[in-house]
Amino acid sequence: MALEPVSVALKFGFLAVLFLFLLWVARSALKDLRRQTDGRAATPMPEATGLHAATGFGGDGDRHALLVVDRAPGHEPGSRYDVSSGATLGRGDVEIVLEDAFASSQHARIERQGGAVVLEDLGSTNGTYLNDELLRGPQPLHAGDRIRIGDSQFEFQG
Amino acid sequence: MSPRNRELLALIPAGLLVTAGFAAVFIQQDELLSNVSLTYGAIFLALCFGAHVIVRMTLPHADPYLFPIVAVLASVGLVMIYRIDDELAREQAQWYVVGLVVFAATIVWLRDYTVLERYRYTIALAGIALLVLPRVPGIGAQVNGAYLGVNLGPVSFQPAELAKIAIVIFLASYLRDTRQVLVQGGRRLGRVQLPRLKDLGPLLVVWGAAMLLLVFIRDLGSSLMFFGAFLALLYVATSQLRWVVIGLGMFFTGAWFFTATVGHVQGRIDAWRDPFDPQLYEAKVSGSYQIAQSLFAQADGGLFGTGFGQAQLTLPCGAENCPRILPAADTDLIYALITNELGLFGAAAVIGLYLMFAQRGFKIAMLAGDAFSKLLAAGLAAVFALQVFVIVGGVTKLIPLTGVTMPFVSYGGSSIVANFVLLALLLTVSNRARAPR
Repeated sequence: MALEPVSVALKFGFLAVLFLFLLWVARSALKDLRRQTDGRAATPMPEATGLHAATGFGGDGDRHALLVVDRAPGHEPGSRYDVSSGATLGRGDVEIVLEDAFASSQHARIERQGGAVVLEDLGSTNGTYLNDELLRGPQPLHAGDRIRIGDSQFEFQG
Repeated sequence: MSPRNRELLALIPAGLLVTAGFAAVFIQQDELLSNVSLTYGAIFLALCFGAHVIVRMTLPHADPYLFPIVAVLASVGLVMIYRIDDELAREQAQWYVVGLVVFAATIVWLRDYTVLERYRYTIALAGIALLVLPRVPGIGAQVNGAYLGVNLGPVSFQPAELAKIAIVIFLASYLRDTRQVLVQGGRRLGRVQLPRLKDLGPLLVVWGAAMLLLVFIRDLGSSLMFFGAFLALLYVATSQLRWVVIGLGMFFTGAWFFTATVGHVQGRIDAWRDPFDPQLYEAKVSGSYQIAQSLFAQADGGLFGTGFGQAQLTLPCGAENCPRILPAADTDLIYALITNELGLFGAAAVIGLYLMFAQRGFKIAMLAGDAFSKLLAAGLAAVFALQVFVIVGGVTKLIPLTGVTMPFVSYGGSSIVANFVLLALLLTVSNRARAPR
């Protein structure tokens, strides 16, 4: 076996390339981890995926719940509606009247369910968007959530 | 450096690995140092480069590390399979080409992956149909007691590989809608908050499906993989550990009950608990020969391994079909072969690569903007990681050995194609997540 040293060298070369590659990829992962710890110091308890910032289940019973107008025809931007005890949005005879061609007469309802305030579409024609995602089934609202119906947009403040 | 240039640069190690690996195997087999290995390395690099160009054109912002990690895994797998049998390696190389074509097709056609959400029930049904396909008489095939393969004329494939992607897509889209309901909570029992009974519904259904899988296809590994992915998704969706605890409890209770009643699974458990029992070791059917030999091979590897082509796969008998010392070295036990020839360091590097793949997957989930993307990326990463856990855990006797493949490394067409689809989905999600807004 005259070529055995070459074979051994190739094996260690193989391992070296493998580990150098691994280190290179791991370095980026480490960078992510460091950034994560920095972020943790700034904002307490961020969630792993940031999927549900403040679910607040089983929280204190009656906090204030406000709907702030971002932009809506016929509403002053920045005006507030108290939805702590629920409200219906739509074009018809409801609590929050939308002068919006895309809104149905009974478009969506905001309701308090236990500790959470829940947004539900009432079978509208054009749909309700929660944070730019089409609402399917009732969804609890969190502070900062954006509700969009047609050209009208509101921000929820818990 | 832009993400795409970074990706391009990272493909070079893959080419180097193929070249070095093939050269070492050539030396071992024919005692000659041939420049043919350079050609193999170049062809491999060219293929990866082709896929890279397509990614560059369609997904400019996608994660730069995922594709190189896969290329490096594939080169390790290719070298190991070439070392077992050059004909197998040729077929495996063909499957990589098919896989890359499917990969390219997926990223070109499915740039708006949110359409998947619209077809979720169709996808779920397709996934379940794929899973039970091996039990359909006539086309189903039983391998070592488990029903995992399907034979359609000359083509045989393992439908569970594709089913795992379908089921993750379904679960991601389903949990996107129901996760908030699941967090609402129920009665408190001391410090523990119990979930409401009606919210246990989905968990019970998926648990039932996992148990059915166990009885139906008789494979503990796939069952664990699917249910584990579901629990991981449930945890990501609700961020509540109680679901995982309840789910794991249910799974192990069910698994314990069914292993006692389904003969094949019981055999696997016995072989796992005492592989060196002489009776089990000698047994022709459902014995512990595989797992015992796998442990011997790994122990033989030492820290740096015996070297490429040095592992003894068959007994020296002079004839064509000698008894195998390391059975199924190209599929189930490829990890044992890697440990034997590259040692603890080589095996640790391979595990590290998988770890990094999973890390990139969860990173994509963190960066993604909407709930479906987050759940999809997390679910795909979880099912991929669990698959590696099930097979490596099996080969190292951490859990009972079952027949799932090592993604991108094991020999097997359906595994490669399915995992390239998984990679394509992850890259598409990451492209949208990292795109500047």
